[in-house]
Amino acid sequence: MKDNKQLLLSKAELILREAEKLGASQAQATIALVNRNLTRLANSIIDQNVSERHATIRIILYFGQKTGTVESEVFEDSDIKKAVEQAASLARISPENTDFKSLPKPKEYSSTFDRDSLVSEDTYNTTPEKRSEYAKLAIDIAHEKDSRIAAVAGYVQNISSERVIANSLGIEGYQIRTFGDVQLTILARDGKEETAGSASDARRDIGDLKVEDVAIIAAEKAVNGFGMKDLKPGEYEVVLEPNAAAGLLFFSTLLGFGARRHQEFLSFLRDRIGEQVFSEHLSLWDNPLDKRLVGASLFDDEGVPHQKVELVDNGVVKNLVYDTFTATKDGVESTGNHAKWWGPAEPIARHIIVEEGNASVDEMVSETKKGVLVTHFHYMNPVNPTEGVLTALTRDGTWFVENGEVKHPLHTLRFTDAVPRFLKKIDMIGKYPEFLTAPPIGLVPAMKLPSFRFSGSSKE
Amino acid sequence: MKAIAELALDTCRNLGASYADIRIVTVKDEDISVKLGNISVLEIREKVGFGIRCLADGGFGFAGSYDPTKNEVKRVEKLAVRIAKSSGATRKNPVELVDEKVATDSYSTPIKKDPFKVPIEEKVSVLLEVDKRLKEHNPKIIKFTKSDYRGHSEDKIFSSTEGAFITQKIVFCGGGFTCMAISPGSPPQKRSYPGSFRGDFSTSGYEFFESRNLLENVERIADEAIALTNAKQCPTEKATVLLDGHQLMLQIHESTGHPTELDRVLGTEAAYAGTSFMTVDMLNNLRYGSEHVTLVSEAITPGGLGTYGYDDEGVKAKRVELVKDGLFVGYQSSRETAAQIGLAESSGGMRADSPQKLPLIRMSNINLEPTGWLRDEIIEDTKHGILMSTNKSWSIDDKRLNFQFGTEIAWEIVDGEIGQILKNPTYTGITPEFWGSMDAHSKDDWRLFGTPNCGKGQPPQVMYVGHGCGTARFHNVRVGIMEGK
Repeated sequence: MKDNKQLLLSKAELILREAEKLGASQAQATIALVNRNLTRLANSIIDQNVSERHATIRIILYFGQKTGTVESEVFEDSDIKKAVEQAASLARISPENTDFKSLPKPKEYSSTFDRDSLVSEDTYNTTPEKRSEYAKLAIDIAHEKDSRIAAVAGYVQNISSERVIANSLGIEGYQIRTFGDVQLTILARDGKEETAGSASDARRDIGDLKVEDVAIIAAEKAVNGFGMKDLKPGEYEVVLEPNAAAGLLFFSTLLGFGARRHQEFLSFLRDRIGEQVFSEHLSLWDNPLDKRLVGASLFDDEGVPHQKVELVDNGVVKNLVYDTFTATKDGVESTGNHAKWWGPAEPIARHIIVEEGNASVDEMVSETKKGVLVTHFHYMNPVNPTEGVLTALTRDGTWFVENGEVKHPLHTLRFTDAVPRFLKKIDMIGKYPEFLTAPPIGLVPAMKLPSFRFSGSSKE
Repeated sequence: MKAIAELALDTCRNLGASYADIRIVTVKDEDISVKLGNISVLEIREKVGFGIRCLADGGFGFAGSYDPTKNEVKRVEKLAVRIAKSSGATRKNPVELVDEKVATDSYSTPIKKDPFKVPIEEKVSVLLEVDKRLKEHNPKIIKFTKSDYRGHSEDKIFSSTEGAFITQKIVFCGGGFTCMAISPGSPPQKRSYPGSFRGDFSTSGYEFFESRNLLENVERIADEAIALTNAKQCPTEKATVLLDGHQLMLQIHESTGHPTELDRVLGTEAAYAGTSFMTVDMLNNLRYGSEHVTLVSEAITPGGLGTYGYDDEGVKAKRVELVKDGLFVGYQSSRETAAQIGLAESSGGMRADSPQKLPLIRMSNINLEPTGWLRDEIIEDTKHGILMSTNKSWSIDDKRLNFQFGTEIAWEIVDGEIGQILKNPTYTGITPEFWGSMDAHSKDDWRLFGTPNCGKGQPPQVMYVGHGCGTARFHNVRVGIMEGK
């Protein structure tokens, strides 16, 4: 496997050099090479099968407090020079952003972080035929499980990415990463009902993917889903499997802990730093440097070193996550959480880890008097972000639990509830899951909550 | 570029592809945002690349790259065929495509003012002035302000082994503003114009952005945001609900647009976006809505955000009825999915959001046909009701049955007149029951609304789509869904 480190660094240097020639006071160059290969299953065949190669350069130039940004999929030096000129032209006509003070200054990257462990040659070199083998394996295992298995859907994917971030103040970061993941939703039919089960796994080395186990679990959930009943909306105990808990925790951190959202009055945790908002059983942090994470990373999207940021300690809100711009406004240091994700960049915790407990999902079920066991949620969105109210629907395996036993599967349920309310009390927290998760989820175990508000169902 | 396309398609054929197409695409975006008096985004983005899709051994394969040089095109050709053969090995039946008239044509969005030729300074100036007036309106209460502009263009070449060669230039632009009012003891309240999530968009020239009259609406919107901070909470009850176009468009999007995508119906999205309750056996049988409900997929509506000349399979843009007088009668489809259920032709709905992405079935403009009502007549005819406007939140289940929406603002309607403002309005329902309760839809305020943020597919894609509608009335709707109450 040949990396492109020197090539990418030379392109970044070219950008910074050209920016200086044009009189920019500060400049930042980001260059990313991404190969994404995804084999998608539907109806137990490969239905879509794609390979994408992207090369993106992102140039941010400052002339004092005036700025211009150009992002382009070009790689030739002549095209890059034109892009720098375009960014300079934009910056020159831009009004000043009086909140801008400076791009980040260089800091030491972690010396103990094992960069080599982020890369798997097997993942990098995975062929369409290899992904097809995984796909066939999943299809065969699922159909062997039960004659009522009707359709295997999902994907097998391998991604490799290289990126360089450099700025005129001396930041220079290079990173190459790979990961592969499998996600399956398996449908079963018996002539009366259609049920579904899902499971997933992600690994840096695609050879470590637990494809068979994922297929078995998804198929078992589908098969065990027959005989669905309705549940009257209301307040119930809830056992959240790791994927369900991860969805809730990701949205909670997205809406609550980013400094931009605080500064723009959007966070439900505004003015609540230091307050005991959550259950004392909840401790939560962001740590991209944790090597256990499939999405482990050395630096953020402006080249600032990642670090562990404590977000919740025994229920007390401890810190926000910052990038350079928001940190400057609040007079603090960036926490290395700048994320150019969807839309404009903002600080986001994308590597969340919840302190594990020691309960199994079975033990949580056995402690439940009247509740719901949830595999995962679908289409989660904030109803009212400033109060932390979320809504979403159960999907791919939901069961009614009574007196410590799983009684029967349930039709789709909708919850509408506020994060500070439903995380105020946590009965039990599980061990870290056997299956890993693709970014932006880190390590989130199963949880049992004493109260969770279901507001609707597929019938009302 | 034509030579590259021909060479690529010849190579695919020689490698064993029974069909192949290539798209060579340049996508350009101009983004400007002003936040709290400061320019926060001034950015130009450009994607250049190509994608080759081919059929070999009965399966589809796709590969794309940013680099249209000869060696890279060769690599991608080979890879696309190899991937197709790999797909074909798992299929029980080979992919079949419905016939399509082979087109050699070109299409351009009709525009008066090219958005990319209007000086950036002019756009920045408008946004700064909007932001300034919002802030100055009531600095003690209006604590957050943001205004946005986006221009977008796509230059596309489509060529296929069947002989199609189509060039298109699609242009859209638009924008809007948002403000947040905060008063002591009340959670923040947001108002946006002319739509939430960065505004309203249209396949038009800069004249569309100008026609939104942002400056003229600043005071009204800021006043509404302030009024919301002391407004009565939307009640929790079953109510008659009126949705104006700023919310109805997303109701159509989520509960009509997505469930009539035939790839979802046939299971392609089963593991991600979901499937659909509108299964093939229900076609021409399902009573989707009341007799007042007629919904069409119309890629030819002038100015719609989902308006184009040809889709990314070379199918000419067209009008397809989805729901006729309440009866479910049609799907949005592709050449492959149309063949799967025996339709004579594709609806022309395949689009990709960038050169290296596989085309998927995407909404064009999903429009609710107006009935004979005027907006004011509907209000006057409503004894007790709630008028909701401007989407704030949305969520719908994987079969597109149970939906829940929140809007920025609502007003009580009492004895045929608009009354006090209600804050935190939400409503929920089940798709066919909800549309079955619609008894009026206005014609005088009917227009096209554009949303450039529709997500679908793995790898994910974001598409721009349009929805035409006015104000509609629905009965017996659950409102006031907060924290499970």
